[in-house]
Amino acid sequence: MSTDIIKDNATKYSGEVTYHEVNETVLSMLEKPTFGWYVLLLSCIATWVMGFGCWISMMIYGLGMTGLSHPIMWGVYITNFVFWVGIAHSGTLISAVLYLFRAKFRQPIYRLAEAMTVFAVMTAGLFPIIHVGRPWYAYWLMPIPNERALWPNFKSPLLWDVFAVSTYFTVSTTFFIVGLIPDIASARDKAKTKFRKILYSITSLGWTGNARQYKNYVAAYLIFAALATPLVVSVHSVVSWDFAMSIIPGWHATIFPPYFVAGAIFSGVAMVITLVIPLRKIFKLERIITDFHFDAMCKLILLTSGVVTYAYVTEFYVAWFSNNMFERYQFWFRPFGEFKLAFWGMAFCNCMAPLTLWYKPLRTNIAYLFVMSIIINIGMWLERFNIIFTSLARDFIPAAWGGYNFSWIDVGITIGAFGWFGMWMTLFIKFFPSIAIVEVKEVIEAPVRDPHSSVHHH
Amino acid sequence: MKGQKVVVGVFTYLDDALKGIQVAKDNAKDYQVYAPTYVPALVHAVDSKRSVIATISLIGGICGLIAGFALAILTGLDWPMRVSAKNIVSIPAYIVVGYEWTILFGALFTLNGMLFLCRIPNIFRKVGYDPRFSDDKYGVVIGCEPDQVDQIKEKLAHTGADEVMVKEGL
Repeated sequence: MSTDIIKDNATKYSGEVTYHEVNETVLSMLEKPTFGWYVLLLSCIATWVMGFGCWISMMIYGLGMTGLSHPIMWGVYITNFVFWVGIAHSGTLISAVLYLFRAKFRQPIYRLAEAMTVFAVMTAGLFPIIHVGRPWYAYWLMPIPNERALWPNFKSPLLWDVFAVSTYFTVSTTFFIVGLIPDIASARDKAKTKFRKILYSITSLGWTGNARQYKNYVAAYLIFAALATPLVVSVHSVVSWDFAMSIIPGWHATIFPPYFVAGAIFSGVAMVITLVIPLRKIFKLERIITDFHFDAMCKLILLTSGVVTYAYVTEFYVAWFSNNMFERYQFWFRPFGEFKLAFWGMAFCNCMAPLTLWYKPLRTNIAYLFVMSIIINIGMWLERFNIIFTSLARDFIPAAWGGYNFSWIDVGITIGAFGWFGMWMTLFIKFFPSIAIVEVKEVIEAPVRDPHSSVHHH
Repeated sequence: MKGQKVVVGVFTYLDDALKGIQVAKDNAKDYQVYAPTYVPALVHAVDSKRSVIATISLIGGICGLIAGFALAILTGLDWPMRVSAKNIVSIPAYIVVGYEWTILFGALFTLNGMLFLCRIPNIFRKVGYDPRFSDDKYGVVIGCEPDQVDQIKEKLAHTGADEVMVKEGL
């Protein structure tokens, strides 16, 4: 991000938007829920209850209820797991990495991105548990010795993943909650009902915003960002090692970690756009989330789309260059085999469609961006589908080849996950500030009586 | 906050608030400054020393690194079983666990350090705090004895405060 743009943004806010306006605008989002909010919440709950019903049915009758069958034993659930972990990633990218780079476009959008991170990890975490079939044994993944005093195998990428995802969940939740504390204090001071007053008094931990608190808070926040940044890179790298550490054609590739990390950021930024656009419209946040912010997010999409496209091409090149028949066949099978629609869908959604964002007017065309963000998310789901299904369907021995029959359980649980995620997001936007009040105020010039005084905000 | 009384100055402008801080420094040992957002100039005017939080995080990170490797190594040795032809203690394979726990412990130590240094949770005791300080006003709250109240009040008023109030301290 060039410094000029940062300066422009800071200037854009000064004189137009005041501290008080930020407070009022953001806190007005917490006012009495409307009928539409209840409808949204109930539809989300209904959706995840439907998914939960499918899960219960699967628990009663077994994994045979799903499409999982030899050779595709990592089906839709692991696809969903990788998809949701990927969604989670850009939250931390926007909140932590962009914080370290001092990119000012992050302020009004990072809270929502962080909430998305936490709720997406909560969703992702469900899938390995669903996938094991007997969720009551999921605790076996924890470092607890079994009845024969045997510990889990720390040399397995699957166990690394447990540590990576659980650490990611803990750290991103901590980062999220720490960021919320000063804003909840603002909500506490304006709370209109007794319930909210008590809720915010407790959850703000008695924050007052005194100089000592800010000094330590800002120092701690910087460290959280510094810790979360390598974590973002490590978590999706570890997720990619779930695949790359094996010898399956199409998986055993050193490009996987950066490819996964870029893909995660790509899908996550798209999801942030999907969430921010309706929120901005409903709560009339146009003065706080401006075209500038969408333009900046689109540039991030363009960058990561480029990286992802490059990774796709590299995979094909490496397969050809390896002169390995299994690898070569795998990359013939992807565009021309049984799952070719998923491949071409992925290529269209992730590589071609985002190219339109090079055209500047489209980067600030809100309706277009909303559609584009959904296209990208479909594309990224298809990418994970492609990696998992095609490689498992065609490994080394033709006798072991196979396909996949989707069952309504697969579909029901996949859709239910969106309901689960949506329910938490819907509850969050009504109970806690979805825009970082204190940090948006940071990019507004502080009011001074004497404009010629030597006092500067920064 | 020390002193039987507190004088609270409410400011709209940052430069006025900085003058208020100077009054507090000149006249009292115990004072508190509130702001609606993080303003470096204001924080530095109160306390220019660096926060010790980084040291706490570093200690946490080192503990996590040791704990992560110790967990993987000791559990491997507890029930030695060779997997995938790797050594019983396979350091490269344990790097991920060590790395993740370095970050995890570093973050948890940072969190606890921050809570301690910010003196939170502290839900009930907010001497001199005004809800406007989380909105758009700066606050300088000075703890003093009853006989100093008038003098400090007058000085604060001269700095350009919108309002100067006297409240009970201690």
